[in-house]
Amino acid sequence: MSYRFPTFAMGWALAAVMTLTGPVYGQTPKPVAKTKGAGQQQAVALTPWGKPDLRGIWDFATITPMERPSELAGKEVLSEQEATEFERQTLERRNPDRRDGGAEADVGRAYNQFWWDYGTKVIASKRTSLVIDPPNGKAPPLTPNGKKRAEARAEIMRRPAAGPEDRNLAERCILGFNAGPPMAPGAYNNNVQLFQTPDSVIILNEMVNDARFVPLDGRPHLPPNIRQWRGDSRGHWEGNTLVVDTTNFRDETNFRGASRNLHVIERFTRADSETLLYEFTIDDPATWTAPWKAAFPMRRTAGPIYEYACHEGNYGMFNILAGARAQDKEGR
Amino acid sequence: MSTLGRLAGIALFCLTASPPASSGASFRAPRTADGRPDLTGIWQALGTAYWDLEGHAAQAGAVVALGAAGAVPGGLGVVQGGEIPYQPWAAAKKKENAKNWLTADPEIKCFLPGVPRATYMPFPFQIVQNPKHILLSYEFASATRIVYMDKPDFESPVDTWMGHSRGHWEGETLVIDVNSFNDQTWFDRAGNFHSDALHVVERYTAISPDALRYEATVEDAKVFTRPWKISLPLYRRLDEHMQLLEFKCLEFVEELMYGHLRRNPNK
Repeated sequence: MSYRFPTFAMGWALAAVMTLTGPVYGQTPKPVAKTKGAGQQQAVALTPWGKPDLRGIWDFATITPMERPSELAGKEVLSEQEATEFERQTLERRNPDRRDGGAEADVGRAYNQFWWDYGTKVIASKRTSLVIDPPNGKAPPLTPNGKKRAEARAEIMRRPAAGPEDRNLAERCILGFNAGPPMAPGAYNNNVQLFQTPDSVIILNEMVNDARFVPLDGRPHLPPNIRQWRGDSRGHWEGNTLVVDTTNFRDETNFRGASRNLHVIERFTRADSETLLYEFTIDDPATWTAPWKAAFPMRRTAGPIYEYACHEGNYGMFNILAGARAQDKEGR
Repeated sequence: MSTLGRLAGIALFCLTASPPASSGASFRAPRTADGRPDLTGIWQALGTAYWDLEGHAAQAGAVVALGAAGAVPGGLGVVQGGEIPYQPWAAAKKKENAKNWLTADPEIKCFLPGVPRATYMPFPFQIVQNPKHILLSYEFASATRIVYMDKPDFESPVDTWMGHSRGHWEGETLVIDVNSFNDQTWFDRAGNFHSDALHVVERYTAISPDALRYEATVEDAKVFTRPWKISLPLYRRLDEHMQLLEFKCLEFVEELMYGHLRRNPNK
């Protein structure tokens, strides 16, 4: 299915998709188990070496937003009925196959429903945000420095790109937009496969096919001069929870505006046979005035994980830059 | 020579002297929790197969400015019988590829390297074994492969750069059947290539605690006159706290690929 996508510049270079993941073919969604807090979990399967068995393919698609929408301020949890209505409205708003917006809207929607895989459901707890701390469901205010960097980035994104570095990392196919760390549900490829050995866990995201190696042997982090796009992860067990600590990011990694000193702590806990609870804490005093925390369940899925050859098919970047040069000529 | 070295030597001799089924029979690898040979670890090929699978003398590189650092080291070759059996048209195409290496080799654009090329590039890769799936994770371009050990009938729904991998155990040997390739990848920097009819059967066998024998049978009726085979050792990376680091090389090829589209080119 290579080379089949439309070759025009998009706001997102999602045109880079070669081998996309649609909803897992031939598979009806499995029933979603009730999410359980870490304190009340059921007995979980263990590996032969006695640790909770996290192995398998997990789907973290959801339409619950990271931060609580302003119109839901003060509303922590949706009722059953409200959740159904929220899902209906969200899917309708996002449906790019609508043709009720005129020519310009139609061009924007040319990246049609076929390509998107946000999921269709809110998370099982029906919380109105993935952010659980602060309790208002929004990331804390940016520091003055964080604000300044965010404004500089926004300014760059507004103008025609002078070169590939002006576009975001998903368009450049360097990171994608949901593989993390931390993982965060997004437009598609919301799948991760976990591999486990007695002394390591490997987190393989479908997004850009990145395998993140997490040693559990107590070794120190990489020295501070070795920075990586996805940082450097170390893990350990706290009871039945796998805790993964990631540092050594690059400035350009920029998770929601974070600096290179971002410290991510992820927690993976099996809740039941079909559910893996995922929680992350973001600590970056250079960017946010306080640490913040989000949580969501991942559901077991049959998979498979597809190859996502993003860079190999990135016609989007050619077209974005060619379009920007055309804009330069027109003096826009 | 250390005892280990002698053992490896003996294992090697057995390999070359006996049929594949008994490969590595003189070394029994440690076992995983589910009783399989444990090939887990970080491995890397030495040698110059990544320049040219066939035997070759040292030669000047393609980029004058790189001088000695860019020159091609010689190599004994890893192809059994010495030569890759191209059909006449394909032999001509291979020559043309070699001539146009700098513009034609997908490695230069940081594209996913394909199989078996990923195995013997000058970068480490990691094997992680779970009973149903084995993960092969390569440092170059963050390439990955999932080997399905539990789904012999699972055909790939799409063509791929890194192939569709189904594995099984034959005694001490992990055998991986790889198909569903596209025709975009090469085998090395010498222009050796294939079509989308490529079918590769890989065999990984521990020959000592710190070495694997890697064999790959390459079949492609559109390009070759018969199947052919490569064989080379892979060595465990024994560095303290060894881990794959990122080599997200596409960052390093943006200038090459998009430089002409900059507002200020050549800047």
